[in-house]
Amino acid sequence: MFFLKKRWIVLDIEQHPRLKEFKFSFDKILKNPLSITGLSLIFIFFMLAVFAPVIAPPQNRAEPFRIPHEGYSVIPKPPSPGHPFGTTTKQYDIFYGVVWGTRTSFRIGFMVVGSILVIGVVAGSISGYFGGIVDEVVMRVVDIFMSLPLLILAMAIVTALGRSLDNIMKALIVVGWPIYARTVRSSILTIREEDFVKAARALGAGTLRVIFKHILPNAIYPVLILASLDVGAMVLTAAALSFLGLGAQEGYADWGQMVSLARNYIVGPPGQPLLYWYVVTIPGLFILFFVLGWNLLGDALRDSFDPKLRRK
Amino acid sequence: MNFLNYIVRRILLLVVVLIGVTLIIFVLLTLFSPEQRASAFIRDIKQLSDLNSIIKTYGLDRPVYMQYFMWLRQVLKGNFGWSTTVSRPVLDAFKFFLPHTIELALFSAPLIILVGIWLGSISAVHRDKPVDHFTRFLAIIGWSLPTFWFGLILLMVFYGYFKGLFPPEILSYKAQAFVDSADFTRYTRMNTIDALINGELWIFVDALRHLVLPVVTLAVIQIALIMRIMRSSMLEAMGKGYILTALAKGASPRTVIRRHARRNALIPVITVSGWLFAQLMAGVVITETIFNRKGLGWWWARAATQLDIPAVLMAVLFNGILFVITNLIVDILYAYIDPRVRLG
Amino acid sequence: MGKKVFIAYFCVLLLIFPVCVVFAGGKEEKAPAPAEMGKEEASQKRTVKNPDTMIYARYGTVQSLDPHRAYDTSSGEAVMNFYDTLIAFDGTTTDRFVPLIAEKVPSVDNGLIRDGGRTYVFPIKKGIRFHNGAELTPADVEYSFERALVTDQDGGPIWMFYEPLLGTAGSRDGDGNIVVSIDDITKAVEVDGQNVVFHLKDPYPPFIGILAQYWSGILNKKYMIENGAWDGKKQGWERFNNPDQGAEALYNRVMGTGPYKLVKWDPGVEISFIRFDDYFMGPAPIKNIVVKIVEEWTTRKLMFTAGDADMVQVDTMYWPEMDQLDGITIYRDLPRIEDTAVFFNFNINTEANQAVWSAKLDGQGVPPDFFSDINVRKAFAHCFDHETFLKDAWLGFATTPNSPVPKGLPYRDDTVPIYEYNIDKAREYFKKAWGGKVWENGFKLSILYNTGNEHREIACQMIEENVESLNPKFQIEIMNVDWGNYLNMMVQKKCPLFIIGWVMDFPDPHNFMHPYMHSQGTFAEWQSYNNPKVDGLIRDGIKSVDKGTRKDIYYSLERIYFQDVPGFMISQSVYRVFVRDWITGYYWNPAVDQMMYFYMFKKGY
Repeated sequence: MFFLKKRWIVLDIEQHPRLKEFKFSFDKILKNPLSITGLSLIFIFFMLAVFAPVIAPPQNRAEPFRIPHEGYSVIPKPPSPGHPFGTTTKQYDIFYGVVWGTRTSFRIGFMVVGSILVIGVVAGSISGYFGGIVDEVVMRVVDIFMSLPLLILAMAIVTALGRSLDNIMKALIVVGWPIYARTVRSSILTIREEDFVKAARALGAGTLRVIFKHILPNAIYPVLILASLDVGAMVLTAAALSFLGLGAQEGYADWGQMVSLARNYIVGPPGQPLLYWYVVTIPGLFILFFVLGWNLLGDALRDSFDPKLRRK
Repeated sequence: MNFLNYIVRRILLLVVVLIGVTLIIFVLLTLFSPEQRASAFIRDIKQLSDLNSIIKTYGLDRPVYMQYFMWLRQVLKGNFGWSTTVSRPVLDAFKFFLPHTIELALFSAPLIILVGIWLGSISAVHRDKPVDHFTRFLAIIGWSLPTFWFGLILLMVFYGYFKGLFPPEILSYKAQAFVDSADFTRYTRMNTIDALINGELWIFVDALRHLVLPVVTLAVIQIALIMRIMRSSMLEAMGKGYILTALAKGASPRTVIRRHARRNALIPVITVSGWLFAQLMAGVVITETIFNRKGLGWWWARAATQLDIPAVLMAVLFNGILFVITNLIVDILYAYIDPRVRLG
Repeated sequence: MGKKVFIAYFCVLLLIFPVCVVFAGGKEEKAPAPAEMGKEEASQKRTVKNPDTMIYARYGTVQSLDPHRAYDTSSGEAVMNFYDTLIAFDGTTTDRFVPLIAEKVPSVDNGLIRDGGRTYVFPIKKGIRFHNGAELTPADVEYSFERALVTDQDGGPIWMFYEPLLGTAGSRDGDGNIVVSIDDITKAVEVDGQNVVFHLKDPYPPFIGILAQYWSGILNKKYMIENGAWDGKKQGWERFNNPDQGAEALYNRVMGTGPYKLVKWDPGVEISFIRFDDYFMGPAPIKNIVVKIVEEWTTRKLMFTAGDADMVQVDTMYWPEMDQLDGITIYRDLPRIEDTAVFFNFNINTEANQAVWSAKLDGQGVPPDFFSDINVRKAFAHCFDHETFLKDAWLGFATTPNSPVPKGLPYRDDTVPIYEYNIDKAREYFKKAWGGKVWENGFKLSILYNTGNEHREIACQMIEENVESLNPKFQIEIMNVDWGNYLNMMVQKKCPLFIIGWVMDFPDPHNFMHPYMHSQGTFAEWQSYNNPKVDGLIRDGIKSVDKGTRKDIYYSLERIYFQDVPGFMISQSVYRVFVRDWITGYYWNPAVDQMMYFYMFKKGY
């Protein structure tokens, strides 16, 4: 992260040390096999999401997230020509659901994590840097929000505002930002006592400049790693909420929804317990690889950004 | 900064936090009409004619601030209200469900933490080698498993296929009957501990047998978290200057890892462990539902979905106290370990 | 350090594993002979787990053990086993009775029903004892009913005593003020020697059916007074009226004459019973009963196959797979006296109501009186594909009733038609509706169902898809809301269209006709459906004792239902009971429905 000056700069990479470091980081990422795996996975999902209308054409253009279903029978049907991944209970097509569910997952991950990142960083920075009463107040607010149980909040929002994925995301954001604030704050508490910060202050740098140019770029790494892990985690949490009856409306293309639809068919009829393996395994695998991709990416980010680990 | 002062101040601020959280919930209540709230008392449409009467009895149509004071006053007298989802007083229900949740947390947390530490440290020491990749891969798979799927599969295999080897629920019928009888005294209401105190080994084993599957379910999923933290903090610790010094002085790598790196790496793990325990206590709804071990998580999930407001408020209070104390301990640990960090 | 600790922990786990396996055979009965799950084999005799105990795994929590408060299946089931009633249903019938605490079943023939149906006399048996050994006297019977009237708690079933005995809907009005006098109450039930006499306000044919069910259980007066219930005195009776939830005297206490006593009740978790050895009809065959609340279907299923549950509650959609299970007995095609219908709202409350959208007939909403045009109602009715619904939502385990009076009740006219699934007719009616404006402008509305109810969800989806297929300007949104919200929306008359059912209280057409069609009945009120002729007929129907007259009245009402189409019926279901094959003795009674009377069960081969 660097602060763009409002002057025309010649981006001579060899000259500017920060950009040189950046290039080094990226090279490191690209060389690590694990991070390549992670990036590839994410890339595949991304392509899946972008090309969803082509891969699984929607029946109703206006509502592409409505999974089509032929009939209402509650018994799932195995993969067949019209339904490459089979159908889940109430005959929702699994293939369609997981393809369009990719878009939903990206949406959940990015929007929720993006929001809590911003809120958390702002709150944590203010708290960590200024200390004193400000710190106390902000941390108490953090405590308050941390004590709000997610389920209860989600339920309240859903009951009042209606059952939808957007409302669930709001609940996730409200409950998710405190950890980020605390993490940023504890990084800042450590860093603000570092010599280079004191030096910057002694040289007369203003508060904002010190925060943005010196402290944050160093304090941000733990939260970035947390964020990369959370993109996957949010999808998992949304899935758990779907299981409990919150989350998207039924029939909405969302991996979590699909897994929870499969709830009563995880163990099949006596004698054929794994008969309906596809209703849970297929959406489950999509979730697994999505989360895996982001985890690997997060690890790679940390391995390459952490100043103590970079050059080993 | 006077340490004692700091702690006392934080505990007093706990009250502020609790009031804050409960106020938020009451404010959220304004989103619900009195009829919606009264319907929590009703199971069947045939009881609907009494809706108005219920509203009057419980003051559901009074202004929110009045309801809050009514509730607060009752709480200070020790009356936490009536939980409609379990048809008993909230405090009663709390005392009933708490031991079940504690027992689960008590057995899961050490397993998760110890295995997580072990895997994390192996991963760090053999960084980027196949062992590292393998353990991380396994841990992540565990973490992204849907809880209920994994739990049900475990049940299907170890209870269904292996004919009752590790059953769901808390105790077998015979053991439960004995525990309920006059021959058994309950101390903590946790069957494992009480069984040991009473000297009834077979009940202890029975309870453990019933704990295996839920604990494994929880563990497999949460281990990744601890493992990840341990790994990164070990890596950090191993990169520190004093490690090199010790090695230069001739200490064997194994000793160095064990005595210096690991010990220091454990610190962030400890803080996360505290948070993990709080998480487990805050309720593992899905595990409790699947294995039919009803505890706080199950109760509060139902309360949330059925508008059982008194129970919800209890949940919020409990969570509040739990997290504030945990955060306090974490903050103290941070200050203690890293002298650069000043409290307050 | 970490490694050693871990190895230690691991060793402990390794040790526990074999110990568990050893103990698994230890104090318990031998596990059933291992058989492949569900293989087709001749049913072999297995060693039965817990031979003197029956474990029933179901869902649905008990709310209260007080017979005058309990009004849901789970609570009623418990109460039914603790308390006896004056009379009981005869076996599997709902219109014949046998005496239980009474010596004889009153009838016009034996002179115990007098004054044209306004007086019922019950001679009481001697020698019946309560769980604590006290002998049952007519004073206990009198007290039981008077206490019910005095207490009349919110959410309870006592309106069923009030209607026949005092002619009102309850003891309080809409604002909570008491509107009955203690004299009325005490005059309604009196002791006469060894008899108990009921004085009804007007003739009420279903009265006898009401007395056969769990809310009419007989209590012990002395025990009740000792435990804080109404003291039996006229002075100050008001303070015993409508106690708070959980404050009712028998909330978690039991003192009855029934075949089982209470061992323990953990609300939401389980309730356990033990046999009352001095039960006056002979002790129950099974000593211990445990009813466990297990919400997760898969867990319940696994407990059942493992033998840890002797009986289990199974939802319709899993019946086909249970057919393949070995070692169980299934009681099939048990007729339930209940039905479900789609209801139209004649006057939708548009205040803060998302379901009506623009609230105008402009293609973007519906006006409040949208359904008041009979053409709209007929059109919707013709859009419902009954056959597919029964097949897909109910897997064939339900039928379409032709009127609110379900099969199994008297005075049912089988010739009353229903609105068949006919898209062309639907189109015709839509074109006629509101002078053609509906077809021209279109409309938009939301239909709701309560979360988790699969049948209603499918019904909503079917209505949506069929209606929308007629005209692109017809838009229907489906919303699911939690149960509390759903109730709320219906009560506030905000649902343009709602789906709900009614389960029998007592076996008489009045019990269904009133909520469905009387303007002050539960459903009709939400619909703002008001047909004065109907109200009159219903009032006459319940007051008349002549079978012929009643038949004519209810036949007319059923036909009016078809003509007025305030709604249309969509299902009447059957039930199945699943037990392990070592459990015998069960029989179904439609009035008792899903509640289990444990006295009838035997365990063992």
